[in-house]
Amino acid sequence: MSGELFVVDNLTVTLPTSRGPVDVVKNVSFTVGRDETVGIVGESGSGKSMTALAVLGLLPRGARTSGSVRLDGAELLGRSDRDLRSVRGNAISMVFQDPLSSLNPYYTVGLQIEEMYRTHRGGTRRAARRVAIEALERVHIPDAARRVDHYPHQFSGGMRQRVMIAMALCCSPSLLIADEPTTALDVTVQAQILELLGELQSTTGTGMMFITHDLAVISSIAQRVLVMQAGDPVEYGTAEQVFSDPRHEYTRMLLDAVPRIDDEVLS
Amino acid sequence: MMRYVLGRLGGVILILLAVCLFTYLIFFKLSPDPAVMICGKTCTPERIDSIRDVLGLNQPLLTQFWDFLSGIFVGRDYGSVHCSAPCLGYSFQTNESVWSMITARLPVSITVAVGAAVLWLLVGVIGGLVSAVKQGTWWDRSAMGLALGGVSVPNYVLALVLQYVLVVKLQLLPFPSAVPFADDPLLWLESYLMPWVVLAVGYACLYARLTRSNVIDTLAENYYRTARAKGLSGALIMRRHALRPALTPITTIFGMDFAGLLGGALITETVFGLNGIGKMAADSIAKNDQPVIMAVTLLAAFFVVIGNVVVDLLYTALDPRVRVVSS
Repeated sequence: MSGELFVVDNLTVTLPTSRGPVDVVKNVSFTVGRDETVGIVGESGSGKSMTALAVLGLLPRGARTSGSVRLDGAELLGRSDRDLRSVRGNAISMVFQDPLSSLNPYYTVGLQIEEMYRTHRGGTRRAARRVAIEALERVHIPDAARRVDHYPHQFSGGMRQRVMIAMALCCSPSLLIADEPTTALDVTVQAQILELLGELQSTTGTGMMFITHDLAVISSIAQRVLVMQAGDPVEYGTAEQVFSDPRHEYTRMLLDAVPRIDDEVLS
Repeated sequence: MMRYVLGRLGGVILILLAVCLFTYLIFFKLSPDPAVMICGKTCTPERIDSIRDVLGLNQPLLTQFWDFLSGIFVGRDYGSVHCSAPCLGYSFQTNESVWSMITARLPVSITVAVGAAVLWLLVGVIGGLVSAVKQGTWWDRSAMGLALGGVSVPNYVLALVLQYVLVVKLQLLPFPSAVPFADDPLLWLESYLMPWVVLAVGYACLYARLTRSNVIDTLAENYYRTARAKGLSGALIMRRHALRPALTPITTIFGMDFAGLLGGALITETVFGLNGIGKMAADSIAKNDQPVIMAVTLLAAFFVVIGNVVVDLLYTALDPRVRVVSS
């Protein structure tokens, strides 16, 4: 498939452990197109997050990778840390699970957006501050010009995740990796964040790699789905196909585990 | 914020008053009769009575305490002798004014404390930092082993060993003698070097271990990972997202340790014979010189309480999460 924005080809991640090296991600392959959302689903420990961290070269010390990860045709695996810095946050940015611990409590949200923008785009603090305010407005944070000077602990959980998303998108990346972005939030806020991500994607054309263990979330946002189990990719296909006609036993198990509102109550 | 500061200062005054009262009760009421001590060997009951009268020891306890307290602020009279404010009384041993004893010795203690603090902060924080970044390497292991050893060496042992090796055997340094900086800067440096090192070693080891564990904790924080995922430069990540969070708690501990030292480094000053507040405290306790004991106790309490407030105020400036919400 030429012209794909982002290609992961046969990615394997090996971590050193006290009992020898362990493959936590095994031969994973998938692609993300422009404007497309690919969901990666699996239980915790299935290697979803490791896949994401491998893409940006943020794996724990001693980790080894093989295979290929390409953005717009350029190989990312095996590049030096210094080299990857221009990619991180700029071409590929990331939103993490817990927005409170993922933002630095010692600095205003404005400064945390500004430092990232200025690292990649340069310019004055004033210009960066304007960008930060615009970024906050884009994720519908009310009174952004005032809120830009607030600290993370002064925001609610949902608003904090909006800040993270605003930050992730401030350099207009071509790929956004969202690692369980709604897991730490309550259900109504989850829906708002998903809606926001969908809306932003349709205006920016950013490709999205959406990691979650929540099948309901995936079905509402992803066009393609990769199911992982213990580091193995067990099923990969369009969302429709995976959900309506799961080929793999494990996918079926996952789908059956989702409680349904029309389930019969056991008497 | 203003209200918070005023509230804290009010608390400080109350605490200092309480410290005053308890020290007064302990040292003047529970220890031997001062009049007998002053009177000496050739003593007559009449002389004891007149001393009691001059010191106000015949007054009710509360009046005595009030006289002592008001003496600090407005001065007081001992018989025909006027002791001008701030009056902390006169030494039973030398008849010197306690206040002038303090003002003469405080610069020595401050010099010892400041020099040691600079030394232990530099060595401790930088050592801990390097250990954290090079976690698990031979550097880390040997530095932390050394730090553990350093914490365990008592001050006076180190002081005596250093003195023997550097002064007596190798004759590299003069015997410490609190030379004023203005007299001879080089000699000043040489004479304070050993006290600084002796005092700093224990703290430096403690701070190295503390810094190391704080930095390692911070490197595991999610916001550190975020900072890396944002593509920031290594220096910016280190400064903003590792050092600032890791070192902020250390300021609290430093404030307390430093304030404690301003009240005199008892052992170090005594071993090196430096005429600071610490040595004055040791001497006065040995000779039961109550006005001096009282004064050094109050002085130490004063520094600790003020240090506490400064640390708290500093902390609200350093950590936005504890900042008082202004309504």
